[in-house]
Amino acid sequence: MSDADSPHDPGVPDDEIPDDEFEPVDVFPESELDLRSGADDCYKCSTCDTNCPVAEVDDEFPGPKFQGPEQWRLKRKDDREIDPSIMDCSNCMRCDNACPSDVPLSQMHNEARAEYVDEQMSKLSVEYWRNRVLANYRKGAWLGSKFPRLTNALANNGPLRKLGEKLFGLTAEREFPAFATQTFREWWAERGGAQVQSEEKRVAYFHGCYANYNTPEVAKAMVRTFEQFGYEIVVPEQGCSGTPMFANGMLDDARRDAATNISSFSELIDEGYDVICSCTSCSMALRQEYPELFTFEGTADVAAHTYEALEYLRIHEDLRGALAGAEVDGDGEDLAYHAPCHARNQGLARQAVELFRDLDGVAVEDVGDSCSGISGTYGWKAEKYEKSMAIGEEMFEEMDEAEGRTGMTECPTCAMQMEHGTGYDIRHPLEILEAALVES
Amino acid sequence: MGATPSVLVIGGGSTGCGIARDLSMRGLSVTLVEQGNLTHGTTGRMHGLLHSGGRYAVADQASAEECIQETRVLEDIASHCVEETGGLFVKRPEDSEEYFEQKLRGCEECGIPTEVLSGREARKREPYLAADVDKAIAVPDGAVDPFRLCVANAASAQNHGARIETHAEVTDLLVEAGEVVGAEVTHESGPGTRTHGKAGTTERIEADHVINATGAWAGRIGDMAGLDVNVRPSKGVMTVMNVRQVDTVINRCIPKGNADIVVPHETTCILGTTDEEVEDPEDYPEEEWEVDLMIDELSKLLPVLQEARTIRSYWGVRPLYEPPGEGTADSEDITRDFFLLDHADRDGLPGLTTIVGGKFTTYRMMAEDISDHVCDRLGVSASCRTAEVPLPGSRDERVLDDAMDEFGLTSPVARRSKQRLGDRASEVLDTDGPNPVICSCEGVTRAEVQDAIDQSGTDLNAVRIRTRASMGNCQGGFCTHAMAQELHPEYEPGQAEAALDELYQERWKGQRHGLWGEQLSQAMLSYALHATTMNRDHATRSAAGSRTASDADAGETVDFEAFDGGAPGGD
Amino acid sequence: MAIEQEVLVVGGGLAGVTAAVSAARTGADVRLVSYKQPTLRNASGLIDVLGYTPDGEGPLVDPFAALDDLPEGHPYERVGADAVESGLALFDDLTDSTYEGNHTERNALIPTQGGRVKPTARYPASVAAGLASDERDALLVGFERLVGFDAPLSAARLNAAGAPFEARGATVEFPVALSADPKVTRFAHLLDRDEAGEERQEGSVRRALVERVVTHLDGEQRVGFPAVLGDDHPEEVRADLEADLGVDVFEVPMGPPSLPGLRLEDRLYDALDAEGVRIETGNPVVGYEAGADGDRVEAVAVDRSGATVPYAAEQFVLATGGLVGKGIDSDREGVEEPVFDCHVGHPPDRYDWFDDRAFGDHRFARFGVDPDRELRPRNGRGAVEFDNLRAAGAVLGNYDFAAEKSGSGVSLATGFHAGRLAGENT
Repeated sequence: MSDADSPHDPGVPDDEIPDDEFEPVDVFPESELDLRSGADDCYKCSTCDTNCPVAEVDDEFPGPKFQGPEQWRLKRKDDREIDPSIMDCSNCMRCDNACPSDVPLSQMHNEARAEYVDEQMSKLSVEYWRNRVLANYRKGAWLGSKFPRLTNALANNGPLRKLGEKLFGLTAEREFPAFATQTFREWWAERGGAQVQSEEKRVAYFHGCYANYNTPEVAKAMVRTFEQFGYEIVVPEQGCSGTPMFANGMLDDARRDAATNISSFSELIDEGYDVICSCTSCSMALRQEYPELFTFEGTADVAAHTYEALEYLRIHEDLRGALAGAEVDGDGEDLAYHAPCHARNQGLARQAVELFRDLDGVAVEDVGDSCSGISGTYGWKAEKYEKSMAIGEEMFEEMDEAEGRTGMTECPTCAMQMEHGTGYDIRHPLEILEAALVES
Repeated sequence: MGATPSVLVIGGGSTGCGIARDLSMRGLSVTLVEQGNLTHGTTGRMHGLLHSGGRYAVADQASAEECIQETRVLEDIASHCVEETGGLFVKRPEDSEEYFEQKLRGCEECGIPTEVLSGREARKREPYLAADVDKAIAVPDGAVDPFRLCVANAASAQNHGARIETHAEVTDLLVEAGEVVGAEVTHESGPGTRTHGKAGTTERIEADHVINATGAWAGRIGDMAGLDVNVRPSKGVMTVMNVRQVDTVINRCIPKGNADIVVPHETTCILGTTDEEVEDPEDYPEEEWEVDLMIDELSKLLPVLQEARTIRSYWGVRPLYEPPGEGTADSEDITRDFFLLDHADRDGLPGLTTIVGGKFTTYRMMAEDISDHVCDRLGVSASCRTAEVPLPGSRDERVLDDAMDEFGLTSPVARRSKQRLGDRASEVLDTDGPNPVICSCEGVTRAEVQDAIDQSGTDLNAVRIRTRASMGNCQGGFCTHAMAQELHPEYEPGQAEAALDELYQERWKGQRHGLWGEQLSQAMLSYALHATTMNRDHATRSAAGSRTASDADAGETVDFEAFDGGAPGGD
Repeated sequence: MAIEQEVLVVGGGLAGVTAAVSAARTGADVRLVSYKQPTLRNASGLIDVLGYTPDGEGPLVDPFAALDDLPEGHPYERVGADAVESGLALFDDLTDSTYEGNHTERNALIPTQGGRVKPTARYPASVAAGLASDERDALLVGFERLVGFDAPLSAARLNAAGAPFEARGATVEFPVALSADPKVTRFAHLLDRDEAGEERQEGSVRRALVERVVTHLDGEQRVGFPAVLGDDHPEEVRADLEADLGVDVFEVPMGPPSLPGLRLEDRLYDALDAEGVRIETGNPVVGYEAGADGDRVEAVAVDRSGATVPYAAEQFVLATGGLVGKGIDSDREGVEEPVFDCHVGHPPDRYDWFDDRAFGDHRFARFGVDPDRELRPRNGRGAVEFDNLRAAGAVLGNYDFAAEKSGSGVSLATGFHAGRLAGENT
């Protein structure tokens, strides 16, 4: 039966009229965004393709122009089929930053990948569950962090790793990241939370999974540095940013965590807080991917109020002035800096170099604009490992040629790859900033 | 009659190709001549709607019934040319409720299945429909590719022994002893497939009967025999969007009007149209307001069109006809019915029949009628089989569902290739050599381009209508030169160049009408590539004379020696 | 305001980079802000100055001799011949040995994709052996899976144009098993790495390529390839091929995506860094704040995913590109410059924006801001829009770079001029 005859005011969209007979229809159910119109912006210059680190090492991969605007434009509504090569995209998102014409490339890729995983990937396959587990790193990390020493020992047991590769498609080439004996949140609780109170300067910290479970020293550096500048910090309840879930086409998992994050942080924004991330992939997710993929109330607000930690200080403090008089103790550390692709996408690729260029006690060398190749969970997959290392080759070489034997990057998985490929110790810019500005 | 009766069909549009197929399947000896490419006239310039009949269900029920009948036939015999999209007649709040009811009743009376949808239900099917659309009637409208359909009819005719000559213009009708006995034809580059640069020839083609199926040009052919065929050409604009905003045909449910239909066509949507009488089917103004009208009016149904990218616009000329003495003032009110003019009965000139008026959707039925008539005149008794025998490409539908065979292509390209080629897919795409994509907008590979070249010689526009190469968002900016390269070495460099220039200009002709926003950026990028990098706006030849004389007749003179010959001591 | 500098350049293409370096060399503190990757990388990598006059005369042997006759308003007329020379000198300095052509005032004729020659003033060293005025015979080599460059056809066209040498073409399979549609960067990467890598084939890719080409050589002293001979190590790739083939090797410039364009971009960004220019790429400039009396720009507004951050400076250079770079935007109603809303003259009727011939005299190709002699954009009445805003490169109007073959030269000349004046006024 139809409601076509039901009388109502002309001119008023009937979607807004309560109607007992019909469930309200979401005009764009989130799983079926029609992105064909995104192809309107493409003028086929192929700049995206020349930036794609996967296409450079694997010509079977048709590249972002095909995966994005071309594939979408060729689509009819009832065409369900997505080319399987979408799973070879590492979601580095360099194409977004490249495109001179505003094509929503990574959004198209994310949607296509989610559609592929939903419709074409067997939910019984090892690949699906391997990806699902990788995408939900936080859950495993939570468990692992309860027994850090045991987990660390097991995870890096050689025979066990081989078994993991065989049964589960996780490369045996990599060492699992070690869990900290005390998580950041445990430390935060132990120290009694914020040490600085302020009505004017307040930030809410999105630490993400990695800084919490694996590298709490980065999170602590963030806290101490921001407190040094007089900021009141809160560390609210939060889930995973979703980055590994987007990359594996697990949009439903991502949506669940995004709902938590957006509700948690948008409330704080209303109270005058800005959102700070120390991981550039987390800030990327909150700023770009959330508004592209989700429609929760407060999504745009969170995007507009989210900043990477250094970026925030650069904008709001006289960081240049503060660093001008500062120095880092030590014997002139040389840092080989790699800008993560996701930092590049937020316009942050050069800020660490710029900031520390004139800082006494360190010398920073940019190792170029190549991709590290790990792209989060990508390089952990056994079948992608070789590709991941081939992509990273250029960065390894550049690091090798650099003066120093210490690396620096904002992204935890880039850091893993840098360490894996060169054996260097890798530091986070916040740690340098802390060393320069915070009295120890 | 002893020898096989012969028929000359003038006009390579849907009607002409349909007649050629029909008669050759009945065993007649058929020659078809077309002044340009197949579909050159009105067929290649329609909006691609396969009528359910819904549009005629109130004003012209006879036509509506023919439409629904023929749509069903084409879904069977031309499955690779047809997309069963379904259609909606959409009512806005200000549109007449009474007409909506009339439309619904009319459809029911004509046997057109309908379903009434609420605005919300309609938006569920097509999310971009305006929020204030009240309701809609769903009908079985479809989309058809007129190029592919015409080419398939011609190919079928050839398979049954017909001779198809394109770029063959009729310059005179041969009248002997008060009877039309054939036509004088000028072949632009001699008989057979077109070859740029090859000299033209003329030919007398004699036939037992001549059929004038030239649509809007029928008056001109009539003039050659001193006959008055009063075609009233009426132009209509079609604007092509870059992507499909909708996957269903969207009609506005109003009695008549301009800019009331959006047809999802292949990778695009086509907005139509207007209806304005013109003097000359080849020379009429193409104006800004017509394009603006499409966008502004149809945005009332699909607001997204206001900001969406258009890639080109084109105009078609309807071959409207009305018998002498009707004198309808407004071309919109002239009947869409077709007329068979038997010049023996009408003008006392045997040997010639003209067909005018009519609609694309019913081309096969028209072809059947005229074929019956001609057979009758020629004393042939053979019945029509065109409604039962599928066209080449549509003989085996399984190819589309066969996801296994991708011919080494990525799945969207394989899918699109198969949608275009139908059951010819494996014949065309199973190649030994590398098969790179030539046109990435439309997903057309080298093998498909080569197949089209085999059919149509150096005419890249003929390659285009067969493959859709260069019909996507860059409008040939990134592929026309690659298409031209496919002509070499089979054809000479000069021929490839001439073919490129012709295709590039044809693409420009339509693209001009979409030059703002994204398409203007695109046009500038293409211009920069072709002029700046390739220097295609300047043909150059040496002051010392050319090594191959045939290419030296055009272009500026250059003294190569006067230019930089390299750094001294450099490599 | 935390982010401030003396000179702020908006736009990271050839004009923006030139302006930033030019300003930095006056001693100013300079930041360059760009949004997406520049269209520089779409270009062939050739540095045209003037190949044809605006009336279509040419190809010009001496581009500099034709500068005096350019119409009023043309960017070269605005900045004068000295700025053109200085812009090129700056370019020569930045690109050093990777570019050639500065040994003469004369244009070079370069065979490009498609087999025609085009006049240009500077060319990558990788292209140098391919000059059409060089009388040595040439073999052109194309790759089966690289559409857009058909070597036999290009050779035939060069011969037809009467080039003073015999050209022949051959098409070979690249010596690594590839899919049907490899990207140009894939070819370049394989040649850079010189190992097919990964699993498919052992040994040197360069060597294997030479083996496929050498059988086609028939006395030619030079061999031309599509411009994919390496991205990171082009000199090394070319040197190896030359050594093994025993002849000179050159690249034939191609349309987008263009390796020579990419390499030039990399080179220029390294130079920017070396000059101490601060670089920020990835966020768009969406507007500006004017001073109290409206005749100066105080800051531009940078959008960071919804948050707007002001970037203050004393002097600004607008180098956002033209219709392709999106420094000039249009809709059905008109044409605009979106950052500062500078006046862009255009006919009110959209159908006067283009010519009916594909290569006719297109008004749209000359859309852009109309500057005074200091390159300050002027409003519709001829008055300067802002005292401290200058424009450079394709955002400027009054010239058709595609027809004239003047794109890079205008970017260099106006970038140099705008940057220097901006730097001197701090």
